[in-house]
Amino acid sequence: MKVLAVVLAVVFFLVGILYYLGKINFLTESGTAHSHHVSHLILFWVLALLCLIWARFQGSPAR
Amino acid sequence: MFLALLQGASELFPVSSLGHTILLPALLGWHNVDRSAPTFLAFVVVLHLGTALALVVFYRSTWWRIVRALVGSVVRGRLSSERAERVGWLLVVGTIPVGLLGLFLEHPVRRLFGSPAPAAAFLAINGLVMFLGEYLRRRQLGGGGRNEPIERLTFVQSVGVGFAQSLALLPGISRSGASIVAGLLCGLDHEDAAEYSFLLATPVILAASLLEMPKLFAPQAHVVAIEAIAGALVAGVAAYLSVAFLTRYFKSNDLRPFGWYCLIAGTLCFILARMGVIT
Repeated sequence: MKVLAVVLAVVFFLVGILYYLGKINFLTESGTAHSHHVSHLILFWVLALLCLIWARFQGSPAR
Repeated sequence: MFLALLQGASELFPVSSLGHTILLPALLGWHNVDRSAPTFLAFVVVLHLGTALALVVFYRSTWWRIVRALVGSVVRGRLSSERAERVGWLLVVGTIPVGLLGLFLEHPVRRLFGSPAPAAAFLAINGLVMFLGEYLRRRQLGGGGRNEPIERLTFVQSVGVGFAQSLALLPGISRSGASIVAGLLCGLDHEDAAEYSFLLATPVILAASLLEMPKLFAPQAHVVAIEAIAGALVAGVAAYLSVAFLTRYFKSNDLRPFGWYCLIAGTLCFILARMGVIT
């Protein structure tokens, strides 16, 4: 599970960058404002951060 | 100021603020309100910020405990059964569906349904959903179910409440109404379901308004500082009073009065919209 969490974090990190650069336009309107791409970047980086936290919790058993 | 008052109050009451900001200007004949104008959008951002800050202030001690518990668990690298920590992670998990669906579907959904007739129809449906939620919860309790505290929610249930909250993307469906109904069906009582709904709404409204902040500084957005501050204050005070009232109300009351209101108002507005009286 820890490996899966880290892989997902990397994927979300990269997807965020690709959205920001406009390389991915899935479910976004053409010609949307730059701030909209920033929103995608932030959302995917937050998801990446949550995956890293999830990976950290996999390191030690739950109390 | 009327819009600020309406936004602050209806954002937290289970009656759909978005539906009301579409229906009321149409009913009152305010055809000069351009909902896509940069000035209007910037003003709405300010109103949402006021509402979110009111929620943060109202639940300040709860949020302080939650944030400390979340940071503590990340530093330890371990989950514990402490209430604030458990509730904090439930809120984090429950916020994910709203964030994802909100960012990807908000604009297409508003473009499709952002007119009075669909908003009125969804407002009536919102009323029916509240009645259905109350009926199913009573059946659960009648069948031996019991009220559970918030921290007994599972992560899957929290995601479910988050998805229910996402239904508020549809104009006329209330964020708090949908998430309170989902909370009830997950075994919470009205008081806990309302508290969880308001806590879940806080990061969503705050993040949405912060992400939309650039609109406030757009060259075409002529929001005068004094108007913006006054609007945020009015929305904030209205939201604070609303949440104070609702937390007391749900100690001993249910969703049915709001259900009646939404059903009647939605049906009437839908008929008026179909007759072309409101456009």
